[in-house]
Amino acid sequence: MTPDRRRARAGRMFVAPNLGALAVFMLFPLGFSLYMSFQKWDLFTPPKFVGVANFRTLFTADPLFLIALRNTAVFTVGTIVPTLLVSLAAAAILNRKAKAIGIFRAIIFVPLAVSSVVMAVVWQFVFNVDDGLLNTMLGWLGLGPVPWLIDPGWAMVSLCVVSVWKSVPFATVVLLAAMQGVPETLHEAATIDGASELRRFVSITVPLIRGALSFVVIISVINAFQAFDLVYVLTGGNGGPETGTYVLGIMLFQHAFAFLDFGYASALAWVMFAILLALTVLQLRFARRMSLEI
Amino acid sequence: MFEKRFGRRTLLRGAGVLGAASMLPWPSACGDSDKDALTFFFQANPDEADARMRIIDEFVRRHPDIRVRTVLSGPDPMQQMSTFCAGGRCPDVLMAWELTYAGLADRGVLQDLNTLLARDGSFAAALHADSIASLYETFTFDGGQYAFPEQWSGNFLFYNKRLFTDAGVAPPPARWEQPWSFTEFLDTARALTKRDRSGKVTQWGFVDTWVPPYSAGLFGMNNGVPWCTPRTNPTHFNIDDEAFIEGVQFYADLAAEHHVAPTATDAQSVSTMDLFAAGKAGMAMGGHWRYQTFLRAQGLEFDITVLPAGSHRQGAQSDIGTTGLAIAASSPRKEQAWEFVKFATGPVGQSMIGQTGLFVPALTSAIHSAGFAGAHGEIGNLGVLTEGPAHSGYLPVSPAWEKINSLIDRSFGPVLRGTRPATSLRTGLARGIDQVLHHP
Repeated sequence: MTPDRRRARAGRMFVAPNLGALAVFMLFPLGFSLYMSFQKWDLFTPPKFVGVANFRTLFTADPLFLIALRNTAVFTVGTIVPTLLVSLAAAAILNRKAKAIGIFRAIIFVPLAVSSVVMAVVWQFVFNVDDGLLNTMLGWLGLGPVPWLIDPGWAMVSLCVVSVWKSVPFATVVLLAAMQGVPETLHEAATIDGASELRRFVSITVPLIRGALSFVVIISVINAFQAFDLVYVLTGGNGGPETGTYVLGIMLFQHAFAFLDFGYASALAWVMFAILLALTVLQLRFARRMSLEI
Repeated sequence: MFEKRFGRRTLLRGAGVLGAASMLPWPSACGDSDKDALTFFFQANPDEADARMRIIDEFVRRHPDIRVRTVLSGPDPMQQMSTFCAGGRCPDVLMAWELTYAGLADRGVLQDLNTLLARDGSFAAALHADSIASLYETFTFDGGQYAFPEQWSGNFLFYNKRLFTDAGVAPPPARWEQPWSFTEFLDTARALTKRDRSGKVTQWGFVDTWVPPYSAGLFGMNNGVPWCTPRTNPTHFNIDDEAFIEGVQFYADLAAEHHVAPTATDAQSVSTMDLFAAGKAGMAMGGHWRYQTFLRAQGLEFDITVLPAGSHRQGAQSDIGTTGLAIAASSPRKEQAWEFVKFATGPVGQSMIGQTGLFVPALTSAIHSAGFAGAHGEIGNLGVLTEGPAHSGYLPVSPAWEKINSLIDRSFGPVLRGTRPATSLRTGLARGIDQVLHHP
C-alpha cells in the first residue's frame, strides 16, 4: 500500500466514528421523520400509511396551525429586531478601548451560560404582576401594573423580552468579533474627513460586518422558529394564556408527546424545515446581492 | 525508557478496546436481581411516597419471593408512562388516573384485569362486595377493567372555623344530602372577605386549590348537568347546556364579578393553598391531598364541608377523582403484578392507606374503619369524606382526553378572567370538542 493510500485509509478510519454518529443520530431520524410524516402512528399501534393526509389537515383543517405560524412570525420578528439593535449597540460599546472593558465583556456574556429553563423560572418572578421587578419599576414611573403572563397579548411581549435577553450575548459575541476585524485606518480617514462617530458606525462598521449580521439573522430565525423550552416553562405546555404563546415548537411537542400523534408532528416538523430553508435561502440571496452592490 | 514509540496503530487499538469495553454491561449496585424485581410506577409527594413504601414493605414481608422496585413519576406521568411503554420498558404496575387512563387502555398498554379476576373467584367476590361502584366503574372502559381504584380524590371544601366565628357566619352543612345553595355560599364568601382601607383584600372568602377549569366544570355539575354524555367514550360534552353554563359563570363571577376569590393575577405571588394555610382565606376548594398540609399549618383550625348546589340540583356532589392501579399488558411478571395489585387495592392495603391519613381509601370496609376515623380525628364532618365517593359525579373517560383538555384549558381562560361570558363556551368549545370526539 502506498503512503498516500495508507494516509487516505487512516483518514477514513478517523472520520468513520463521526460519520457513523451522524448517520445514526442525524440522517436516520431525518429520514424516519420524513417517512412518519406520511403515516398515522401513536407509538403503540403499527403505523398506517395515510399519504399526504397529515399535510392536508395541517394546511386546510387545523385552525391552530395558522395561529401557531402567526405567533411564531410575531415572536421571530419581536426577537430578531430588538436583538440586532441591542447587540449592535452592545458590540459597538464593547469594541472601545476603555479601562476594565474585559469585565464588561464578561458580564454581557453571562446570559449565554444560563440554561433556558433557569432563565424562564427567574423571569417568571420578574413578570409577577403584584410584586415583580418590572411592575415595581413601572410603578416608580407612575405606570399601572401590566398583566405580563396573564393576558395573551402581553404574554407574547414577555416571551420576546426574555428571548431578546437570551439572544443578545451570542449576537454580541459574533458582531464584536466582526467589528474587531474592521480596519482602523478607515475610521481614521473618515474622522479626518469630519465624519461623526454615528456616521462612521453606520457607513463603515455596519456595511463591513454585513456577513456577521447575516449570520446572526439566520441563526436567530432558526432559534426563534424552534423556540420551545422557554415557552414551555414561561407560559406552559399549551402555549397559553389561550393561544397567546402557541408557537410551532409547542404545537409540535403537544401533538407528539401529549396527543401521541407522531405522524402529524413529523409532518409539522418538515413544514417548519421547509419554511426555515426558504427563509435562509432568501436571506443568503439578499445578503449576496447587497454585498455585490457594495 | 520506552523501547517502542507510542504509534498510531497502538492508539487506534487502545481506542478500540476502550470503546468495546464501554459497550459491555457493567455490574451495577442493583445487581442482576434488580432486573427481576416487579416495577411499580407512581406519582407522590414525599409523605405519600413514604406511605406507599409502607404498603410495599408489608407486601414484600408477606411475599418474600417478590421484590418491588419503585419508579417515582415526574411532573407529567402520562408522558412518562407513554415513553416508557413505547420504548419497551413499561413498568409492571402503573398508577392510573381517572381522566387519562383511557388513552393507554385504548392503545392496548394496559392489561384487562377481568381476565385475571375471572380465575380468582374468591378475590373477585370480596372485591365486588366491598367496592364503591362509582369508583370501580370509573376504570371500566370498552368492556374491560383496566385498573382497580385505590383512593378517592374528589373535591370538597375546607373551611377556617375561627374566621367563620369572627365573621358571625353559621357553620356550613355537614352532609352531601343537605347542601347549601349557590346564593348561601356567595353570601358566606362575601361575609368572609375583608379589605383594608385602600380596598385591597386582606382575607379572601374563597380560594380554589384545584385546577380552575375543572373546578368551574364541577360547579356546572352541581347545577344539575354532568360534564358529558355518556360517561365513557362520550359523544357530547354538555358545555352548551344552559344550566352547566350557569354553574360555570357562577364560579367565574366569584373572582371576576364579586371579588370574593382571587383572580389568576392575585394568585401569582402567593399560592391559594398558602392563603388558606396562613388563615387568609375562609374556604378552600380541594381534595384530601391538601389535608396534611392544612393539618400542619400553625394556628389553623379547620373542618370540611360540602360544595354548594345550584337551583337545578337537589343534593350536592363531588367529582369522581380517583387513582387506581393497573398492570401493563406487556409485563413479563403479570402474576407478581397481580398479587401486588390485589394486595394494595384489597382490604389489607386499603386499610393501611386509610390509616396513613394521606388518602381516602376506595373500599367501603376501609373508609368506614376505625383506623380511617382515627387518622382524621381533627375533622368534625367526617361524613363529607366517608360519603364523598357515593356522592360523586363522573368525569369524562375518553381516549381523546388530552386533546379535549387542551381545548378546555384554552377556552375557559377568558371566561375565568372575566373577559368573556360563559355563554361563549357554547359555540367555540362545544363545537371544537364535538369535532375531536367524532374525528379523533
